[in-house]
Amino acid sequence: MSEDKPSSSNQDRRRNARANLDPLITDTPPATTSYRASSSTSKLELVQKALLAPFHRRNGSTRILQDLAPVIMTPKMINSASTVSSRPRAVADSTITRSKMDFATLGRAPLRLGMGSRRITSRDLEIVEATEQLLQSEVPEPDGVASNVSLLRGFNATIPSAEQSRSRRRQMRSVEAPHIGLKKLGMNARGLLTDEEDHEGQSVASEDDVVLVPRLDVTTRKGKKRGRESLSATKLLGKDELTRQRKEIVRDKENLHVRRSLINSEITEITHKIEALDDIRAKLERDLLKLQEDELELDDELEGVKERLEFEQTSSRRSSSANALQIPQSSRRRKGPAFLPSEHDELPPGIAFMTLESHSTPITALDFSEPYGTLVSASQEDNQPRVWDLFSGSEIGRLRGHTGTVKCVQVEDQVCLTGSEDGTVRVWDLRKVDIEDANGWDEGEIVSLSDVSEEGEGDEERPNGIRSAEQNNKVNANDPCARVLEGHTKAVTTLFFEDECLVTGASDKTLRQWDLNTGQCVMTMDILWAISHASTAVPGSGLPNGLFAGAAASVGTFAVPTPPAADGSWDMYEDYVGGVQFWGYGLVSGSGDGAVRMWDMRTGQAHRTLMGHTAPVTCLQFDEIHIASGSLDKTIRIWDLRTGGVFETLKYDHAVTALQFDTRKVVAATGENGIKIYNRTSMQHSTLLTNGHTSPVERLRYMDRYLVSGGRDTTVKIWSL
Amino acid sequence: MTTELPYAADAEVSLSYDELEVLRLQYEKELSLAHVTVQTKFNYAWGLVKSPLRDHQVEGVKLLQDLYRSEPSRRRECLYYLALGHYKMGNFDEAKKFNALLLDKEPTNMQAISLAQLIDKGVAKEGYIGMALVGGAAAVGTIVLASLIRRATRK
Repeated sequence: MSEDKPSSSNQDRRRNARANLDPLITDTPPATTSYRASSSTSKLELVQKALLAPFHRRNGSTRILQDLAPVIMTPKMINSASTVSSRPRAVADSTITRSKMDFATLGRAPLRLGMGSRRITSRDLEIVEATEQLLQSEVPEPDGVASNVSLLRGFNATIPSAEQSRSRRRQMRSVEAPHIGLKKLGMNARGLLTDEEDHEGQSVASEDDVVLVPRLDVTTRKGKKRGRESLSATKLLGKDELTRQRKEIVRDKENLHVRRSLINSEITEITHKIEALDDIRAKLERDLLKLQEDELELDDELEGVKERLEFEQTSSRRSSSANALQIPQSSRRRKGPAFLPSEHDELPPGIAFMTLESHSTPITALDFSEPYGTLVSASQEDNQPRVWDLFSGSEIGRLRGHTGTVKCVQVEDQVCLTGSEDGTVRVWDLRKVDIEDANGWDEGEIVSLSDVSEEGEGDEERPNGIRSAEQNNKVNANDPCARVLEGHTKAVTTLFFEDECLVTGASDKTLRQWDLNTGQCVMTMDILWAISHASTAVPGSGLPNGLFAGAAASVGTFAVPTPPAADGSWDMYEDYVGGVQFWGYGLVSGSGDGAVRMWDMRTGQAHRTLMGHTAPVTCLQFDEIHIASGSLDKTIRIWDLRTGGVFETLKYDHAVTALQFDTRKVVAATGENGIKIYNRTSMQHSTLLTNGHTSPVERLRYMDRYLVSGGRDTTVKIWSL
Repeated sequence: MTTELPYAADAEVSLSYDELEVLRLQYEKELSLAHVTVQTKFNYAWGLVKSPLRDHQVEGVKLLQDLYRSEPSRRRECLYYLALGHYKMGNFDEAKKFNALLLDKEPTNMQAISLAQLIDKGVAKEGYIGMALVGGAAAVGTIVLASLIRRATRK
């Protein structure tokens, strides 16, 4: 419509305008370099602004619409839009971006309307919207392939027409030869039926031949023999053609080179991507392992909650008797998380936040009732284990009574059992320890009866200097030592009790089972007897003579030199029984011959021997599935309880002196200052060192996130896990 | 360092339908393999931009934009091709922006300079048409007004 209007009357105007604007055109290239900064107003734009001033008042929305859809936003519509909702905008700087309502836009309208009005699609809008964002992204210097091979070059090298010259050359080389019927031959060779209609290029003369005997066509043709002439001799290509072909070939070779570099760059890119993906996969696998660990933890927690449920139900029924010494359920098998003060969560993991110093010799045994409860620790050449309050970190008192170094301790709530080198086991009531007076008994002294009467406070403990069974019953009511169990002839090196039953192992190479109610020894299990009778009793075990040099002296004193610890120290290891634990009537013991034995406490026989360690076993623990044993051969072996096979062997640098494990980790004292923790799900080792011991760690015990360790530096350290 | 770029006239020469088909098939084959090489994408995009159909040009520019986003090393070339694509489509503003960015980086690039000139010519040409429209509208307006006034004075 409006296209017809500006006919002749405006031709002049246009020409004049063009004449005016010609110098402008040549001016604009320099202007483009300072395009953004300047507000270069060409004459054309001035005219635009003058004529279309009323249309410049526009708010944001109409401007955007104008930008994107000039064909919709004809001048009329823009005008109406601006008058309806207009807000005068302060005109700022650069021209073209600002005033869209200019002649160019108007000029577009007829073009758009004229040429088969095409709808603005979403793709158009998408493109235009994207420009702004794209312009902001950085344009780096091209390097690598990009600088060597430009996109255009690659284009020319890879488009199909690049192949044209090659096929053209091939065609040039094709020679006019008489029809040989190769196609038919080929198809026959492939077993396909030949097309009977294929008579192209055949001379009439040989048609009969073709119908009757197709195969013989080639040889029976007459008059067309070429003889010995070479095919290439018939063709004359000419110099121009040949030079052209040479150039083409050179170019084709360059194209090949280009394509090769393109492909190489793609290959390196893909390699990088694969590496990145591999990294992501490794990270995800680690996350999976973490989830597995969490699941195990939750399983344990579930067990703990179930037990707690039962416990709370039974305790509501049970009448509490404060005086009678009740032996509570063993904490060794308790799995769920422990009750900790809320402040414990604020502790950073893996540090020793408390140190208990009182001993003057290396720690030989320790155990505690619960986190922040009561700790009992014993050290070498000290007959009196110390009792500590873990909440405050102060010593409550001492357990006096033993006449030899205490080698093993187990604490369950208020009950404590200690075994010592004097061959006795004492049962202590820890509630009575803080009644202890402040009269400093010297360590290790055996006080005679006369001294006791002189002190005369009435609540003193009477030492058991005389070893007789009757004396046990005469102790003072406030004496922490509730009972003394005698029977072993040599040092009691390990013990384990649960409910009413206690099992001890001693250097007289026997294991004794005791009833804690009566204080009597119920059964004695002789390890030497088990060794010598092992071949008959044990199916599937290793050689019964898997004894090594040091322990071959099964007669006489057992003494094995320990491998040096991290600080180079070593001593003679004389504990024949390194560890015991039982559950129900199943007992597991680790002994100086390096064997882990499983006993049936009903019969007293060892029904299985697990061979594998090559040095005395020093520590032992089992749960429903696994047995873990540590030994002087610097390894910890994890066995399958049911089959007796080894699951895992953890190797360390020094002899293992103590261990404890659960489904997720194994915590071990391995002759170093740091405590070794092995994560069973991720199979990673780690060490606890922060504020740690200054000499090798000897003993440890943990519950949930609370770990207590004792070392040769005579200190006991408390860690948060 | 000057990048090797085609003159704008090259964009006016379109590929044959068959060639474009081949490029399209190549592109789609690589799409189905979930890894499209840069060269394939560019080939197809460039073939589309060269085509006279507006739809193709839009598609081509979109592919070029994808390339721009994903390949930082190729961005400088893409600037030129994007400018060229927009110029063909008539989006002179976008074309100018891209071309200006390229000229920032390479002030001596012959193709970029010639493209800038072409863009300005295009803008000016549209300006004339617009001016002509305004003039025509003014002429019509005066004629109508004049006839009205004449009618009024006559009566």
